Amino acid sequence: MADKVKLFVNGIEVEVEAGKNLIDAIGAVGIEIPHLCYHPALGADGNCRMCLVGIEDGRPPLVPACKTPAQAGMKVLLNAEHIKKIQHDVMEFELINHPIDCPICDQAGECKLQDYYMSYDQRESRMTVPQVVKNKKMDYGCGVVHDQERCVVCGRCVRFCRQITKTGELGIINRTDDARVAIFPGRPLNNRYALNVVDICPVGAMTSRDFRFKQRVWFLEKDPGICHGCAKGCNIYIDHNRPKYQDDIIYRFRPRLNNQVNGYFICDEGRLSYKKENDGRLFDGRIGDQVRSLQDVLAACVKEIQRAAKTLILLSPDCSLEQMVGVKALAEKIGATLSGYSDGYIKEGDGDGYLIQDDKSANRAGLALLGIDCAKEAFEKAVQDAQLLLNFNNNLGLSYNDSELGKLLKDTRTIAITTHDDKVTALADWAVPVASFSEYGGSIVNCDNILQTFRKAVTKNNDLADIGTIAAMLGSPLQSNGERYAELRKFISALKGIEPENIPAEGLKLNESEAANVTA
Amino acid sequence: MSDRSQLISAGKPFQYDKKRDAEFERLVKRYPSRESMILPALWLIQEQEGWISQEAIAYVADRIGTFASKVYEAVTFYTMYQLHPMGRNHICVCRTLSCWLRGKQEIVDYLKTEVGIIPGQISEDGKFSLEEVECLGHCGTAPVVQVNGEFYENMDVDKLKSLLATLK
Amino acid sequence: MEVKILSAKFDIKNAHKIKVAQKHGAYATLDKLFSMKPEDVIEEVKNSGLRGRGGAGFPAGVKWSFLPKNTGKPVYLAVNSDESEPATFKDRYILVKDPHMLIEGIIICSYAIGSHDTYIYIRGEYTTQVKALQAAIDEAYAAGFLGDKVAGRDFQLNVTVHRGAGAYVCGEETALLESIEGRKGQPRSKPPFPAVAGLYGCPTIINNVQSIASLPFIIEKGADAYKAYGTEKSTGTHLFGISGHVERPGMYELPLGLPLLEVIDKVAGGVWKGRKLKGVIPGGSSTPVLLPEEAKTVTLDYESMAAHKTMFGSGGIVVLDETVDIVHLVKNLIDFYHHESCGQCTPCREGLGWMLKIIKKIVRGEGSIDELNLLRELCDNIEMKTVCVLSAACTMPVRSYLDKFRHEFEAYVTKDASLAVQAKQE
Repeated sequence: MADKVKLFVNGIEVEVEAGKNLIDAIGAVGIEIPHLCYHPALGADGNCRMCLVGIEDGRPPLVPACKTPAQAGMKVLLNAEHIKKIQHDVMEFELINHPIDCPICDQAGECKLQDYYMSYDQRESRMTVPQVVKNKKMDYGCGVVHDQERCVVCGRCVRFCRQITKTGELGIINRTDDARVAIFPGRPLNNRYALNVVDICPVGAMTSRDFRFKQRVWFLEKDPGICHGCAKGCNIYIDHNRPKYQDDIIYRFRPRLNNQVNGYFICDEGRLSYKKENDGRLFDGRIGDQVRSLQDVLAACVKEIQRAAKTLILLSPDCSLEQMVGVKALAEKIGATLSGYSDGYIKEGDGDGYLIQDDKSANRAGLALLGIDCAKEAFEKAVQDAQLLLNFNNNLGLSYNDSELGKLLKDTRTIAITTHDDKVTALADWAVPVASFSEYGGSIVNCDNILQTFRKAVTKNNDLADIGTIAAMLGSPLQSNGERYAELRKFISALKGIEPENIPAEGLKLNESEAANVTA
Repeated sequence: MSDRSQLISAGKPFQYDKKRDAEFERLVKRYPSRESMILPALWLIQEQEGWISQEAIAYVADRIGTFASKVYEAVTFYTMYQLHPMGRNHICVCRTLSCWLRGKQEIVDYLKTEVGIIPGQISEDGKFSLEEVECLGHCGTAPVVQVNGEFYENMDVDKLKSLLATLK
Repeated sequence: MEVKILSAKFDIKNAHKIKVAQKHGAYATLDKLFSMKPEDVIEEVKNSGLRGRGGAGFPAGVKWSFLPKNTGKPVYLAVNSDESEPATFKDRYILVKDPHMLIEGIIICSYAIGSHDTYIYIRGEYTTQVKALQAAIDEAYAAGFLGDKVAGRDFQLNVTVHRGAGAYVCGEETALLESIEGRKGQPRSKPPFPAVAGLYGCPTIINNVQSIASLPFIIEKGADAYKAYGTEKSTGTHLFGISGHVERPGMYELPLGLPLLEVIDKVAGGVWKGRKLKGVIPGGSSTPVLLPEEAKTVTLDYESMAAHKTMFGSGGIVVLDETVDIVHLVKNLIDFYHHESCGQCTPCREGLGWMLKIIKKIVRGEGSIDELNLLRELCDNIEMKTVCVLSAACTMPVRSYLDKFRHEFEAYVTKDASLAVQAKQE
């Protein structure tokens, strides 16, 4: 724990962390110091001048809060008349050349200029001369659209590309009020994290082509979630909405701060993986190619399971821990072989040492913790031996191509319990639709052994059961999430003392000892 | 200032000639950081070619080992870097304070009526280009004009006429 | 009234060549210098009262004593030869006529502060001057005054000339450092101060050319000899530049403390063409203007200038005669500062552009009284809210013109309300 010091803000004593800059230190006790160019991941730049605060008896008496470390006894003035005037004036300067694009700007509703205008300005414009004209709708690559007129030249996007991705595509060229963000001709944004500049841009200068004009942000429900695009488990916001007469769909993912896992950013592939939650989904149960009610399909599946001499259950490495333990209990109950074979989920060499991992599954560590075998030979032998394959959402198309898959399954009937209606699902004899990760709650363990929990975010019109519930309906003795969690504790000792709602927001780091059940 | 990036043109592939190449390598040793070479390297290009093309900017960035965006920033920030070919004789007329007080406007007006160029333009025959610049530090001998790097002090229209006659 | 301390060799033919310069005393102080301890050199310079000649007027010796000791990092000296402040034209005489005096000063300063690498930042426009300077540096290397063993001593010193490329803002000390490091000349926030973390993050001293060139005299003749010139708090001599509407504009070396109007009359021949004086800019375009009544009691030193609510600045005196249209003059100044704004921080970047558009509108006869008042208010809103003082360099003089010549601006303001509100394309 860092040292605390006492200082004064507007005459009131508060206790803050020593040495932190005033924006963070005072922000942590709930008092906002407005700022545009400062960002905790990118450091202070000191160019927007919005964070100027007074220091009573200070030398100098006016300082940028982003560059001023908190010291004991400091007397910070925020509400003083002269500071309020400076905030007005800086806002006025920001707005004189700012185009009133709000009606067509994606940033409306989450724009710092709008917010600060309401809080710190609220005056009429005094601009009676022409505004500076710059370029708009510029394609900077990677789906980033730039508007130079909206830009407040805070430099966050430039610092992001130089400090975080170290690719340096963006720069601020020219001087005076012709200064603008630009790419060097022929060298556009070209890194796998480029869309983060859209989030860090405080105004609508950097927008995402993918999200452009799709939805007004005040209609979006913003629920916390965890990206399932790879084993990193970056924290996200799932922004979704149910437009009138339509279904609840996701409009975008945004990064969510987690200092233990992903910091402030996510990769572009993960960001855009929201489309997979919306598109190509299986909503209807099927027997053969006939759409049937879920009841009918499940009844047929139960009969098949009873009929089959040997059953093989295949788990997806994307399932939550609760789902995995429920399916494991089912396997034990019906005497089925259990496998988590999913080599195809791993793209060797694709990981980059920052966030992106080789392993594109979200919870492979969960399979290991529960002692579920993932070997290829064992799986293929089990397929040979079994008459029935119960596939809980494992995308075999990643591990086998079409002809290999056809050969593998030629003598085995398949029940596909799956989220997506793709060609692998089409091969199945029975298909059961299940909820995808944004539609259920659970826990997963990432590549760094951090256990994180997430809650249900999206509720489809046809609200699907999740894999845990389906397993229970097929005979798993673990009938509720509570029972599944209790069972989990047998495998993960760290959970023994903790209720699910008390798992830390930034995740629970598991030690090696918790992985005691990793199969040799 | 206007958007200097609009001036940038693509030329042809660029590399230093032998003399500038050696000078580059000599200067690199004078700085603890290679990035300090950005300004000197751009000057070497301008000395060699008379102006700095898009290819030259990329060349310098790659040779120094820095981002093209950083060199792009410098070349648009510093106004002495010419981003497109200039006239054979580049005329800079100081327009600030003391030169303004002592008659720079007559010189600029003369160049407009007699030579047919206004600041920012190149003459049709390519012989002259004209730029109004900020204080050149010769206020005691104002008005001052800089042509091809040489200073001409205490200028008036007559002296300018004679000077222009000597230029090729 | 003129003296020849810094300009002692200016009229000697070929004094820029090392052999001639040495005949007249160049590098003669080195023996004495190396027999002193560096701390003693700093004391002597402190004692002399030498103040920064670039415009800020900060005591040089005091600045040097801010250097932290034993950081393990190299100490750098950056010589500021950016000289872009309008009305300032003194340093280039040193570069062309007596560059070895500057080099000797660099050796003195480097020895005192423990630096072995000097960067001379010279503005890009100074083409002939940079050639002269580089030639002198090459001569100094050849004669052993620079390089591995300065004057045969166990002291290494390398001098590199770094050319700017057309940015007045690079005269600001941290912008100068940014420019040497290869970046745009955008000033840094202070703290940290350059003495602690400057060039490449190392302790750095930045001094103006004239300040450094003043050192050989101080070391050779001693601090007291330097203090014999000037006033108590503004010691020594200065290369004053007198320009504008005078009979004999030019560069004149004078001791500090002389009466301003007397200097204009006796040294520069007074207002030209028999005209009347309208105003005097005392120390470069960034200094507030003085009315003739005010100028009567001003002497050319830091204290008197401050008492008259202006600044000594760079000593660039500009004389305005009765024909000067103050409104056009202000437009000329705002145009300059707007063009030179680095664009980093909001008030200067947006505010100076706004001020320029307003003054242009007023000059066209389309400005309203509200816009005139706004222009005056913007001076207060922008000043001191920025990273560096370029914005103040614009707002301080503009404020003085608006206040002291208000009637001239009001004459331009239109009574036609419709014209005033309509925004025309530039």
